[in-house]
Amino acid sequence: MNDYPRRITLQEWDAHYVQLREAGMREPPYGGTLRRHVEEGDLRLRTLLFDNSSAALRLWNFLLTEEDRLREARTAGKKIVGTMKDLGTVPVMAYALPNVVAFYPDGAWWIPCVMELSEGLFGIADSLGIDEAFCPVRAMLGAFITEAHFPVPDLLICSAGATCDDFSAIAQRLNGLGYPIVWWEIPHRRIPDPDEERVELPGGFAAPASQVAFVREELERLRTVLEQFAGVPLNDGALSAGIARANEVRRLLAELRQLTFTAELCPLPALEMLIAEMLAIHFCSDQAETIEVLRELLREVRGRVEARQGVLEADAVRVFWVNPVADLQVMNLLEDCGGRICGTEYLFSHALDEIPENLPPMEALARMALADPMVGSAADRAARICADTRRFGAEAVLISRIPGASHCATEGIIIAEAVRSRLRIPVLEIEVPPLSDSIKPMLRTRLEALIETSKELRKTCCVPE
Amino acid sequence: MLCAGIDAGSRAIKVVLLNADERQVIASGCADQGVHHDSLAMRLFEEVLERAGCRREGVSRIVATGYARNAVNVADTTVTEITCHACGVHHLVPDAMTVVEIGGQDSKLLRLNRDGVVFDFAMNDRCAAGTGRFLEMVAARLEVELQALGMLAAKSQKPAAISSMCAVFAETEIIGLLASGVSREDIAAGVQASIAARVASMAGRNLNPPVVFTGGVAMIPGMTKALEAALGQPVSVAPSPQMTGALGAALIASRQMAQKGSR
Ligand code: SF4
Repeated sequence: MNDYPRRITLQEWDAHYVQLREAGMREPPYGGTLRRHVEEGDLRLRTLLFDNSSAALRLWNFLLTEEDRLREARTAGKKIVGTMKDLGTVPVMAYALPNVVAFYPDGAWWIPCVMELSEGLFGIADSLGIDEAFCPVRAMLGAFITEAHFPVPDLLICSAGATCDDFSAIAQRLNGLGYPIVWWEIPHRRIPDPDEERVELPGGFAAPASQVAFVREELERLRTVLEQFAGVPLNDGALSAGIARANEVRRLLAELRQLTFTAELCPLPALEMLIAEMLAIHFCSDQAETIEVLRELLREVRGRVEARQGVLEADAVRVFWVNPVADLQVMNLLEDCGGRICGTEYLFSHALDEIPENLPPMEALARMALADPMVGSAADRAARICADTRRFGAEAVLISRIPGASHCATEGIIIAEAVRSRLRIPVLEIEVPPLSDSIKPMLRTRLEALIETSKELRKTCCVPE
Repeated sequence: MLCAGIDAGSRAIKVVLLNADERQVIASGCADQGVHHDSLAMRLFEEVLERAGCRREGVSRIVATGYARNAVNVADTTVTEITCHACGVHHLVPDAMTVVEIGGQDSKLLRLNRDGVVFDFAMNDRCAAGTGRFLEMVAARLEVELQALGMLAAKSQKPAAISSMCAVFAETEIIGLLASGVSREDIAAGVQASIAARVASMAGRNLNPPVVFTGGVAMIPGMTKALEAALGQPVSVAPSPQMTGALGAALIASRQMAQKGSR
């Protein structure tokens, strides 16, 4: 039994949960109320608005119980690999192995927000010399030290090179603290010279064959590391099966994105869509369950679209959102101000594209890794954002900066200029810290202005040259 | 028909009472902002009504704008200052294509289309260094009235370079400059140039002329010149620049009434 789709508070969820249970809602073992996560310290949930479907409840519960899953995996004798600064390649390889669970320590990024700074992770990072001049992902350092948010992995793999300077610095600090890391290198993707062999990559990019070969060799090295770690060979057959499973997740997500972003009425709030997208990059420590969670969500969304039901006003302004937001509450705020998300680029778009299945698996993974928006130029990223903005029919682009995050400082301007000149729609840049309460009125003004501007522009076609 | 706009800004409250049929301002007023946004706005609104010989019941619609707009209970609705300043400036300078507004708490750059509709905007949200508050702080440090800061700057021989992007550090820098014997005139000119440079950075690489400067800071002598130098093009100041937000709000109120009537 689901009510008419809408966004509800935590308090409303308490009563709604009881109703759903009485109506026979079946839950997975990690099910339960959202309230219990608040009791465990996830204080931010008190201020958020959530989708009211049981599918969304399952999504949240799945996300917020990852730590339990990791600890259970360890107790069950499974090996844990932390795949850092890698959004979609090494997790695919790791999940192709039996008895291995991969997770994403970078996800600690959101802990200060979700726990409203009560966990003290930034303080620990500060004391290690990684202060607010760095990206909030520095919270990960604190999480390693306290061991309170995830078990320390048996193996750590981290990309370096063209991915992210902040992260490299933070991971090197971690390494220096005595956490061994297997590094692999990814070069800055460049346009092939005319005399170079050109390889097409997923997402519409291209790279010289020599770069693809280099990355493939790096991944081959990781294959050996993973084989030794798991004690079993990681052959092409297993890898291909792993790629097929990852693609299943990506296909589900692609359909969810297409339906949600293009529906006449918005069938799923921005926050739940953000979490669904996050699942695709690291599977929340259980790939099979990720597929089930996404399937249920997709069923819910399909049903809503067919029934022409939505969670927001019909005239909500269609906004394309760039970069993940440090404070989850701001996703709610955009909707409160009259916007809806129609398209996203959270810096891991390559983890949403399907991995080619018609190529040898290591070649396919190498191409996928090189399609990472972070390893290409900001202009490449902007081009994809413009193409997707057009595809989803967004009326405005919102670029959310992350304080201290090095990629934001320069890319935002390049993306904004590309959108202005190619699409001629409003662009807004905002900066969102992990807890944005004190600047909420300021953020609200900007978001409301974006909505007002976009609505006014619906009435006029006159945008100057 | 009477409509009103109330701009509850961070430093001042402005009220405009408009004869909506003639699109004529019949009274306006300005007062310092304080802690009790609602009562201060109400008091000023009543003063303006009294001066115009009107009664509250005679005002068909009130739109509030500005940073404290949601606290103005007398308003029928709220609209952001971006939309209101654009509307106010377009009414006064119909060919304006770019509006620079520097208020007490933030600065904005609005790009308009030929209908006066905002099609893009940018706001300084990083710190106070591009705002009126920064000028107030500097005036206090240099021990001059805010209005005299421009006169001081006009006498500068060699504007000081203020490199800090943050108001707090800039203040430290100013103390250092004073201590090292840099003249108050050069510091005042340097500060104006640094605020203008901050605004110019919001403009990006293409800016459509004509550029109109509005907001409380536009009344400070020397700021327009500093802005012209930073933007590399002529800048005109909107008539009664402090009032354009409230004017825009009143105009939007009248437009909303007209739309209601036509439905
Ligand atoms: S700077 Fe950006 S890419 Fe790097 S870790 Fe932070 S959010 Fe991720």
